[in-house]
Order: sequence, then structure tokens, then C-alpha cells
Amino acid sequence: MAKLELRDVVKSYGIYEAVRGIDLEIEDKEFVVFVGPSGCGKSTTLRMIAGLEHVTAGEIVIGGQVVNRLGPGKRDIAMVFQNYALYPHMSVRENISFCLEQQRLPKAEIDTRIARAAETLHIEELLDRRPGQLSGGQRQRVAMGRAIVRNPKVFLFDEPLSNLDAKLRVQMRTEIKRLHQILPTTTVYVTHDQVEAMTMADRVVVMKDGLIEQVGRPQELYHRPASRFVAGFIGSPSMNFLDGRLEQGAEGLGVRLADGTRLAVPPARAAAYAAGAGQPVVLGIRPEALSIRNDRPGFSPLDAAVDLVEPLGPSTMVYFTHGGASLCASIDPEAAPQAGRMLPLSVNMNQMHLFDAVTGRALAQAG
Amino acid sequence: MERIRRNPTPPPLAERLSFWGFVIAGLVVSVIFLMPVVWSLANSFKPAAEALAHPAALFSKSFSLENYRRLEGVGAGWVVYATNSVLIALGTVVLTILVSVPAGYGFSKFRFPGQSLLFVIVMATMMIPFQSILTPLFLILKFLRLQNSLTGLVLIYVTFQLPFSIFMMRNAFDAVPRALIEAARIDGASQATILRRIMLPIALPGVATVAMFAFLNSWNEFLAALIFLSDQNKFTLPIMLVNVSSGIYGIIDWGALQAGIAVTMLPCILLFLALQRYYVRGLTAGAVK
Repeated sequence: MAKLELRDVVKSYGIYEAVRGIDLEIEDKEFVVFVGPSGCGKSTTLRMIAGLEHVTAGEIVIGGQVVNRLGPGKRDIAMVFQNYALYPHMSVRENISFCLEQQRLPKAEIDTRIARAAETLHIEELLDRRPGQLSGGQRQRVAMGRAIVRNPKVFLFDEPLSNLDAKLRVQMRTEIKRLHQILPTTTVYVTHDQVEAMTMADRVVVMKDGLIEQVGRPQELYHRPASRFVAGFIGSPSMNFLDGRLEQGAEGLGVRLADGTRLAVPPARAAAYAAGAGQPVVLGIRPEALSIRNDRPGFSPLDAAVDLVEPLGPSTMVYFTHGGASLCASIDPEAAPQAGRMLPLSVNMNQMHLFDAVTGRALAQAG
Repeated sequence: MERIRRNPTPPPLAERLSFWGFVIAGLVVSVIFLMPVVWSLANSFKPAAEALAHPAALFSKSFSLENYRRLEGVGAGWVVYATNSVLIALGTVVLTILVSVPAGYGFSKFRFPGQSLLFVIVMATMMIPFQSILTPLFLILKFLRLQNSLTGLVLIYVTFQLPFSIFMMRNAFDAVPRALIEAARIDGASQATILRRIMLPIALPGVATVAMFAFLNSWNEFLAALIFLSDQNKFTLPIMLVNVSSGIYGIIDWGALQAGIAVTMLPCILLFLALQRYYVRGLTAGAVK
């Protein structure tokens, strides 16, 4: 149980800076997910917290104590690795008890703790097996057992589900979340899968090029992305982007797209963007903000030349091009067209996002 | 349906022919390889007269341990030589493992300045022909007062065994995922504990291979033993074999020689059979993920 702080943490390998100055406070018992593309520095950050990588500059503080100079074994943390890292020559029981033996705990205490961890994770019947005799999901459970048995201050997870098949991944995702509810412990979880980040996290940290792009609750990131990068990374299928120019006309504020289409900014949101009139922008529209043509207030028409239709069951994905850009709309299956047809769509501009065409930063926090 | 299941269709003729062809070829090759071993063993149990009989017969009707008894009369007796050989081989094995395991671990899992150069230098010593440095080795042993001593010979064998052993152990440790070390570090284990409890058990096939090579090479080595040992009581089995074959007046005692060969090769065969499971795994460690 402890608060975890990262203070201007930097990690360089020679002239290459993998992490370029991270400031973050993770509250006690909070579940924080680091997400980002490969090479964004998320795993390096986690490994610095674990003590497996030296910190080039800055401080890592666990429970009020600067741990930069403490070895991994002295930081009172537990880590679940991507490939589980179970000791192949030891039984599950020995795997779990290894860390407790290093702490020189009495045998009775070790046995009690193993029994409790095994019960929590439903692995009682696996205790005498070797890791090689376990399935992927069972190994994952054992790896978690090895972590929880220590009662650490901080749990670290390094892409723990990426070796599992899709179904098992969903199952283990809920198990990890359940585990966090039973044993509320400060947790840092690294993944490249934004669905994992959205479903598990109290707060999500989106990283890019060694820097934090945005920190926030999952819904906050989804509805109010701070940059085009976050907007494109969070949400599946990802947000559509259209180049255009913000212009003030007789009908009010609007976005003029490259092909000349004009999409009106709803009056309620116009005030927030008025200052940007005249500048080139990128319009961001989530697939679910596109629907079959309607005249509701705040909706603007957009014509779509349908390339591909993907029925998913509850909704149908329609991939189309507009003004040279490839876009995706999530529409009612009953209204789904055939590929090759023209489809009249409406854009819900109440849910639009506007980004600076040069910096990629959000122009104003969308409602 | 029941009948069909009980009598599966026999494999086609071509497949059966190729299978039996493979079996026969395998048997022929096995006989070629096993023949010298069988020949030696069979001759060692023949009476002296029959060992040189013409035409030669593989097996004799009369079984005799006479050759083994005569072996006791060679020099200080074969038991003394066998004991020396065992001491030297065990010493070489133990010392080689004690040095090559930490060295291989260091080369595999740590990064330090000059690492590659040092490794290349260690490996380069394999290229030096042993015979070319016999004189300097002799002088060094004399300086250390280790000539004519089993310890000195063990040191020489270990020196020549180390490059290959370090190479083997580095490969063995390379095959162990780094994440296991990291997991153990997080579990609070010291480097010594990690090596002893995590790395070594996983790299055991590598250790077995190193042990076997060290044993076989020191057990069978002849030249260094002949040159660095001068006291008859310190000779090893290979030197004893030469003494048997020289005999009194230069007559070769073939029966005793075969008995000596049998005594010499038996530990090697037993060790190989005991460790062959590890041996193959050790040699191929790191070949594929």
C-alpha cells in the first residue's frame, strides 16, 4: 500500500533518450495503465520503477522513499512479466514460495500465504505441477500468485496478456480487475492494447516518444483527447481525421473540408473555437458520430462512396472515402448499404474534435 | 467398421522397403562402430594362447580372467594407475566446472568493457597446438614445483579444457531467458542465489556436457601425462597401456593390453550412457528458441 511518484524521470541509452522526463503521481490503491505504441517508453518506465533499469535522471518515490539506489528486491514491489518468467525447474509451489524464502519467513507463514494465494487464484490443484505442464492461462495465474503472495507495496504488470489468445485475454482481464478489487494495491500496468487500458484502468497514461501525451480517466481520454495522437490511439475503430479550415461565415462557424464540403460547428460549441477562425485544422470524428442522413440539430451532411462493409452484429462498419481520406462509420445494421454505392451520411458535430493542423494539439476541450 | 478399425491398411510396399532398408543400414553402421569395443572385450577374456591364435576367432570357448590378473603385475599394478586416472579426471572435472560456470555466466549475462575482446582471447587459446607449448609448460610447472605431481597435471588439463567449457557454459546461459534473472532479482535473490538456484539447474545439460568432455579428455590424455609425470606410482591408465604393450624384452602382451583397454574404456562408456540425455541437449542449447 503506497503512493508512487515519478519526478522528471529520464532514461537514456547513450545519446538515445527512451524516456524524456516523466512526472506522475499514482495514488495509493490506484490502478494506472501505461499505454502507447512500441518504443514509446512505457516498458522502460515500468522497468525503472521495478529497479531493473537505472534511472538516468529524476527520482522514483515509493511510499515516500526515494528508491533510485535500491535494488529490485528491496523496493517491495512485485512484477508479472510478459512471458510469465516462471522458474521452469520448480513446481508451482516452489515458484510462489521462492520470494518468501528469500525474505527468510518461517515455514508455517510461507505455507499459510501460499494456501491463501492459491485459493484467491483458484490454483490449489496446480501447486505440485511444473510450469511446463500448465496452460497459458494457468501460468498467468501462477505468475500473479507469485506476485500477490508477497503483499507488495506496488504491483507491476508488463503486458501480461499479450501471449494469450483473444478469449482468454478477455477472461484474464476481468480476473486481474477482480483481483485488484479483492486486494486493492497500487498497480502499474503496461500494455499496447488500448482496450485493456480502457477497461481496466482507474487512470490511463498515454505515452508517445518517451513523453506522457495525456493522463486521465478512460472516459475523459475518449471524450476529451488532448491531441490528435491520443484521439487516434484511444477507441476502436479509431477516430476519423479530415483536413480542413475553420472559417467564420454568414451561417456562423464551420469547417471547410478540402473538397469544399462545409460542416457547421453547432452554436453551443462555436464560442470555444471562434478564436481559431481562419486557421487550418484537423477535424476528428468518431465512427459512431456518423449516421444515416438526418436533419437533427447539430448534424451536418456528408456523402460517402462505400468501399467495404463489415457487419459486426450489433452495428455495421462502413468504410468509405471522402475527399481522398479513408473514413469509417458505425451505423445501424438495417441501414447498411452494399459496397460501391453512395451513402448519404450525417456527421454529429456535437461530438466533433478539432486539432491544430500543425501541432496536433486539441483546439479546445470538446464537450 | 469394427473390422476395418482392427485391420488398418498396411503401409505401401515402397514405404516398408525404405523402412527395412533404413534398419539394415543402421545395423551395418552400428556393427562397424561396435566391433572394436566387442573385439577388445572378447579378447580380454581369452586365455593368452588364444588371443594370438590364427585364424582369429571373435569368441573363445574357454573363459579366463588371466589377462586381468596379469595386469596387476604391470608396473605398480593397474589399481594404482586407475586411482591416479580417477583422481586426475575428477579434479579436472570439478575445477573446470568451478571456473567455467561463473565465467560463462559472466560472459552471458553481464556487460562490461572489453567483454568481446576478452572472450575472443579466451577462445583463441583453443587454436594453440598443445604440443607446441610443452616446453614452456614444463618450465612453468618446474618453477611452481608442480612437475611430477597429479595437481600440476590437473591444472594443465583444466587450462586446456577451459576455453571450450566457457564457450559451452556461455551458450547454455544464453538460452536461459533474461526475464528469469529479473524475476529472481525482484524476488530478492542475490547473484549467488540466482546462479545456484535458478540458472544452474536450468543450464544443467551444459554443465553435464562440460563435465563429460573434461572427464573424457583428461582420462584419455597421454602425451602430457607421459612428459610431466616421471614417478611410476603416479602414471595414469594410458601410460600403463604403453607399458603393457612394451612388456619385457619388448614383447607385446596382447591379452593384458586388451584387458587394460577394457578397464580404460569402461568408465567412459558408462559416463557417456549416463549423461547422453543431457549431452545432446547441452550441445544444441541456444540453437533454436
